[in-house]
Amino acid sequence: MTMPVDSGALYDRLIVERARKPLFAGRLENPEKIGEGKNPLCGDKTRVELQLDQDHISLVRHHTRGCAICLAAADLMAERITGLNIAQAEGVGRQFSAMLVEKDGQPATSATAGTPALEQLEAFAPLRAHRARIRCAELPWVALKEALSHVDV
Amino acid sequence: MSAILEKGPVHQFDSAAIRQQFPILAQKVHDRPLVFLDSAASAQKPNAVIDCMADTMRTQYANIHRGLHWMSERTTEAYEGVRDQVAAFLNAPSREEIVFTRNSTEAINLVAYSFGALLKPGQAVVISEMEHHANLVPWQMLRDRAGIELRIAPITDEGDLDLDALQDILSDGQVALVAITHMSNVLGSVTPARQIADMAHAAGAQVLFDGSQFVVHRKTDVQALGADFYTFTGHKLYGPTGIGILWARKALLDAMPPFMGGGDMISTVTFERSTWAHVPHKFEAGTPAIIEAIGLGAAISWVEKVGMEAITAHEAALTSYALTRLADVPGLNVIGAPKDRGGVISFTMDDVHPHDIATLLDRNGVAVRAGHHCAEPLMRRLGLTATARASFGIYTVQEEIDVLADTLVRIRNFFV
Repeated sequence: MTMPVDSGALYDRLIVERARKPLFAGRLENPEKIGEGKNPLCGDKTRVELQLDQDHISLVRHHTRGCAICLAAADLMAERITGLNIAQAEGVGRQFSAMLVEKDGQPATSATAGTPALEQLEAFAPLRAHRARIRCAELPWVALKEALSHVDV
Repeated sequence: MSAILEKGPVHQFDSAAIRQQFPILAQKVHDRPLVFLDSAASAQKPNAVIDCMADTMRTQYANIHRGLHWMSERTTEAYEGVRDQVAAFLNAPSREEIVFTRNSTEAINLVAYSFGALLKPGQAVVISEMEHHANLVPWQMLRDRAGIELRIAPITDEGDLDLDALQDILSDGQVALVAITHMSNVLGSVTPARQIADMAHAAGAQVLFDGSQFVVHRKTDVQALGADFYTFTGHKLYGPTGIGILWARKALLDAMPPFMGGGDMISTVTFERSTWAHVPHKFEAGTPAIIEAIGLGAAISWVEKVGMEAITAHEAALTSYALTRLADVPGLNVIGAPKDRGGVISFTMDDVHPHDIATLLDRNGVAVRAGHHCAEPLMRRLGLTATARASFGIYTVQEEIDVLADTLVRIRNFFV
């Protein structure tokens, strides 16, 4: 059996690579903000740690125990939000969620003006057809939301 | 119906003829033939069940037990006929000991509520480390409501009940009930029910077996097992959802107060008080799942025509073949090695999460379950958060095990 497995485009090479070798995994020595996300269905867990420079996110690390989708989502989120301000990061999060919700075969909403583009996060778009797995990709964003929930903007 | 069923019990399996009776198996998933290896969660339904339920609704349906008309009488006969069938299926001494419930979960909740009402603070209920949440949460609720103690009998690393430890747990004579699975939905372990029953009785306790997984694979004889309570669900036995069974010794059912109040479970009702109907009707409040009960009857008839011995032999051969094939998949770990395993195999794979395994198997037409299988404490005991699980049924064939094993190898190559 040498035929590659059909992944239905869900497991983009980028996702598999990041799940295998995450670039933003680990812990910060003195994190300013910490958020956690847990999926009771599968026991997946992620912890997101942030360092802020005023209202800019200057450093992100995540500690994730989960499936390939969850791991890659945490890592690519960390990469994408580094350098953004809090409002921009939250905007990307909203756009990411919207991308995963299908309405008449199309993403539910398009980007609102002024929100930074999803860029590499678009690799998760095929998840739309796998509703049971959407939570896996959203878990790091839940943790981020918690981390930012105590920040006054 | 095919020739195989007209001949009565057969002990040579004609898989093709059996598969033909499950129309869903002809479906494709993601453009691939469906390989359904999730029967332990819920089994597919043969035409005999589908047609029986549709025919009931088309030709012979009315409410039961209260009709003074032909349709109601015929429907009552069909519904009550299933009670006889279930009694025979379990070798119960009496049809009055068969209570229809919604599923095994409701049957266990009924026992926890009604038998639980007879317990006194300080008495104990024993469950095992490998229980489904259905045989765990109702007892926690009883513990918190009634001040009883909930004790947990450990399992060995192989996934067998630790009988020495159970003996210790029973030794102080405070245990009123031992409630244990007859076959684990995660590990496939078949528990030594007769031995457990003897130990429980020697300590003055009653014993309940959750037979949801077991009755599908092996002949069940509640008298030979020495059981006091036995539960199972229809939808894993090729029957419909919404119908389950509680069997209990009549003396226990007579002593227990009703679970739910309503129509059908009363003898007389005034505004001041009500008196209860005789068992089993005391425990069947309201219009029951009539069509589903009749469908369960069709499922039991169908299974008995195929022959439980033949089913057991077929599934034992498949399980042993699957264990051999899975042993050759690089990085794959089969969870547990119980002394006696039914057609359920849980596994993990190094470097590949069970949810990724399940999603990629699905893309290739193979349906398995992944997660904690409603047995979180067991997962913790095993040091895992989740597993993937393949489970086999009457219609599973060796070629499907090959598809599973070959696809797992390719999944492993994809990630590593």
